[in-house]
Amino acid sequence: MKNILLKTSQLSKSFSSGGRLQHVLKNIDLELYEGDFTVIMGASGAGKSTLLYALSGMDTPSLGTIAFKDQIISTLNQDQLAIFRRHHCGFVFQQIYLIDGMSLMDNVLSAGLLVIKDKKILLDRARNLFTAVDLSEETWKKFPAQISGGEAQRAGMVRALINHPEILFADEPTGALNFKTGLDVLNTLTDFNEHGQSIVMVTHDMRSARRGNRILYLKDGIILGECNLGKYIPQDPARHNTLSAFLSEMGW
Amino acid sequence: MRKSFLLARSNLRKSKGQTAAIFVLMLLAASMLNLWLMLSTDYKQNFDRYHDKLHAEHVTLSVDRHDTEMQNFLIRTLEKKKQTTEFSLTDSMHMVGSFAFHGGEISTELIFLEKQAALSRSVGKIELIKDSNIQSGIYLPILYQSEKNAIGKTIQVSVGSHKIEYTICGFFNSIMAGSHNCSLCEVLLTEDKYRELEQSGYAPASTLCSIRLKEKSKSQSYETQLKNMVSSYDPSVRTISNSYTLVSQSRYISQMICSGIISAMAFFILLIALIVVASNILNYIQENMKNLGTLKAVGYTGSQLIHALLLQFLGISLAASLLGESISYGMFPFLNTMMISQTGIPYRIHFLPFPFFFTLLVSSGVTALVVWLSSRRIKKVEPIVALRQGLLTHNFKKNWISLETTGIPLDLALALKTTFSAMKQNITVCITMLVLSLIVVFSGLMTENVIVDMTPFSNLIVGETADSCINIQTDLEKAFLQKMQSDPRVEKIYLYHSVSVRHVNGVELVATICDDFAKVNNQDVVFEGRFPKFDNEIAIAAKYAKEHDLNIGDEITIAANGMEAAYLISGYTQTSNQLGKDCLLTRAGYMRLGKLSNASYYLNLSDQTDIDIFHEEIKEHFQKAVNTTINVASILEGSASVYVSLMMMIVITVLVLSVIIIAFVLYLLVRTMLRNKKQDYGILKALGFTTKQLILQTAFSFLPAVILSTIVGSAVCSLIINPLTAFFLNSIGIVKCTFRVPADYIILASIILILSAFLLICLFAWKIRKITPRSLLAGE
Repeated sequence: MKNILLKTSQLSKSFSSGGRLQHVLKNIDLELYEGDFTVIMGASGAGKSTLLYALSGMDTPSLGTIAFKDQIISTLNQDQLAIFRRHHCGFVFQQIYLIDGMSLMDNVLSAGLLVIKDKKILLDRARNLFTAVDLSEETWKKFPAQISGGEAQRAGMVRALINHPEILFADEPTGALNFKTGLDVLNTLTDFNEHGQSIVMVTHDMRSARRGNRILYLKDGIILGECNLGKYIPQDPARHNTLSAFLSEMGW
Repeated sequence: MRKSFLLARSNLRKSKGQTAAIFVLMLLAASMLNLWLMLSTDYKQNFDRYHDKLHAEHVTLSVDRHDTEMQNFLIRTLEKKKQTTEFSLTDSMHMVGSFAFHGGEISTELIFLEKQAALSRSVGKIELIKDSNIQSGIYLPILYQSEKNAIGKTIQVSVGSHKIEYTICGFFNSIMAGSHNCSLCEVLLTEDKYRELEQSGYAPASTLCSIRLKEKSKSQSYETQLKNMVSSYDPSVRTISNSYTLVSQSRYISQMICSGIISAMAFFILLIALIVVASNILNYIQENMKNLGTLKAVGYTGSQLIHALLLQFLGISLAASLLGESISYGMFPFLNTMMISQTGIPYRIHFLPFPFFFTLLVSSGVTALVVWLSSRRIKKVEPIVALRQGLLTHNFKKNWISLETTGIPLDLALALKTTFSAMKQNITVCITMLVLSLIVVFSGLMTENVIVDMTPFSNLIVGETADSCINIQTDLEKAFLQKMQSDPRVEKIYLYHSVSVRHVNGVELVATICDDFAKVNNQDVVFEGRFPKFDNEIAIAAKYAKEHDLNIGDEITIAANGMEAAYLISGYTQTSNQLGKDCLLTRAGYMRLGKLSNASYYLNLSDQTDIDIFHEEIKEHFQKAVNTTINVASILEGSASVYVSLMMMIVITVLVLSVIIIAFVLYLLVRTMLRNKKQDYGILKALGFTTKQLILQTAFSFLPAVILSTIVGSAVCSLIINPLTAFFLNSIGIVKCTFRVPADYIILASIILILSAFLLICLFAWKIRKITPRSLLAGE
């Protein structure tokens, strides 16, 4: 029996656009489990990222509740959500979003120092994570504009993982990368998941989606269906076929 | 052109807040510039206009003799002098007198004229500004009109040691003798009152000579020569005089002070506005590198993009200048009222084309120059490089305050990272805070030395101050001194008597004679060298010494009473009373030129002493031997009130302006920072930074520049403020200023300045709360 990490109840999100209310998420009831690599898929405009940001406390729902373990987070104010995020969540963005004016190490430490007060422990963890994602000491002293997209995204993952987040949110992490660097990033995510890291990833890329053990398909603001792929096995044709069939069923 | 116009309009729409802030700064600069130009050109020329209108004299001389022999001598002398073009002689009476004004007393050399005789003078006409049906009484210069001194009210005038009550019939304007700043001050009496005064014998009959010259620039030398001739003809006769040069300056002291301060403010505000414009353009280029690249890629030329910026900022500058100039016309009546309370010369406010167009020209000219200089780099922008978004705009040379090694708390460390990477912002902050520090130090100096305790200002402007001044006939001097020394109310008494002398080969100087200069209250009068000790020593006005290349140790020859004597210069003096034409002599020194027939003694009295009652007792005791008694403390209060209210207005205005400037500059900088770092703030919020942390980081990032420039600015300004004030007051004879620099006030004000800046930044950065991590959403 898996432990529930996040649970939503009647989660809805609406935006006002041109004077008209646009319902992006509609009454979503969802449970996300500890240790899972959950992938949210859907066509462009389906509400994937909106759901991801609502789940992660980056945005507040219009209606419904979101609970992280036993804590209702949908009623927290912006500053309370910020404190929640720093302690429980990690983020990997499509555009990476490292801060230009800081070295890679400082980008990581600026997040780490919010939670880990012992600098020695923090530095050790940062160095270990950099090594784990295959970034050399020379690289982590560079500025974001001086490195490749793949290196930047791996640094982004180090930053996301520095505070031992209970859940890692990834929004199209390979969207801005080429095939090879995208693969490296996916391998890293898979590796962390295999070590127990819970991950929720939004993607519309089948290759990325295959890494998840649980696939949710979002369409017009509702979860149309879900598919369980089980533990990731590289080059597994059955896994690919199952996912293809599921997506085909969903109208992909 | 149309394309540039469309771009300019688009830029303006995108930066409404910045446009508004630059508009306000340009508006303030233009209004100050226009005010300064109005004050220093037409306002000053108003004196000459009135001088011409009233066919006023260039030299005024009152001779305390009224007989045919003297009048014939004067006519002969004046007719002989080549410079004379016209003159008139009028019967008058002359005596030192005083009357109440502005809660104190005005004491000056009063020239009493019969009203009709005064009005019919051919030279030095008098203009009745306010008249009434009252048939018997006094007409005062318009300067002395106040709530208490109004038509129909009674005024007590001290004539020598006698007091006379008059009903005020009206007010007049006399350009050369309409204020206590003119050396002599005319008052008109109706015929009955004039005869009464004549019969009382309180004021000796005199002849008032008003002379117009071919060249007004020769007025001072003419005055000296004429006085010498009269003195040679009758060494015992008392004279009092003034010249165009002296009066045109002395009646405009407040105008000069105000004009100097406003010009400095105009310069500083314009400087800040231009720095803000330059920084705005540099930021615009940095922020819009991609857009600029796109525009260039679709065919816009660098010149068109620069023209758009020129149009944008010239439009702001012109609109702000026009409004600022209109505001300056709105402020001018208020300033005019303040000025008139010192000049006493009415001024009609009207449109002045030169200041108006010059202000427009300067504000738009310098704006165009700054825009062009700071936007030139647009020409070098290559579309491909620009489209790669800002690779050129970041500096990767140094990772300031590495979080890996620093021990500084996280929020402070991140703030300092911003500080070190935003040098343009720091420069703008530093220049602004340096200017504001100067303003704070100046306002502290004026508050301490003029508003709170006027003694330093009085010492500088007036020279010597005491509680009382008593002028006594020298034959009873010994008895008077014995009486004073035995009176417990008298704390100190010393001779401090002024007479006219002449520097041979120079002009007339006012010599102050003292038996022992160690006794005088204001030991700062001599600021270099020392007071004269021996009978062959003299201390001379620094301004005069400089003009005549006289140094300490040089010998100069002084003449008076038909005698000449040589003196060694022992020191330099400064007071603005005689506009830098004065000297100090010991009594023994003056004895080499003649004897004193009367002597003025300055007295320091105990705090509980009622000065007026004390004077009454002295007059009762010594009767006619007492020529005049002057309540110096009360007079100072009266004449000082004008300067105090003027200075208070200036201090309040500059402080309010400072707050406005700092608010707008910081608003612009914070707004620019929020725009530049919007994504960074979003990332930091996503990582778990709270709004409060980010606001504090923003405020802390400004603080090093704010604190450093305020401390350096306050310290440096505290050191240079006295020389700077002396520089501004140089034209009125001040060479060295020794005002007390109020360290406590400056420290407190600097702390308030820093705290205000910090709070304002926090307030402007409050907008960070609206930045959400959701803005980082990709795709949707």
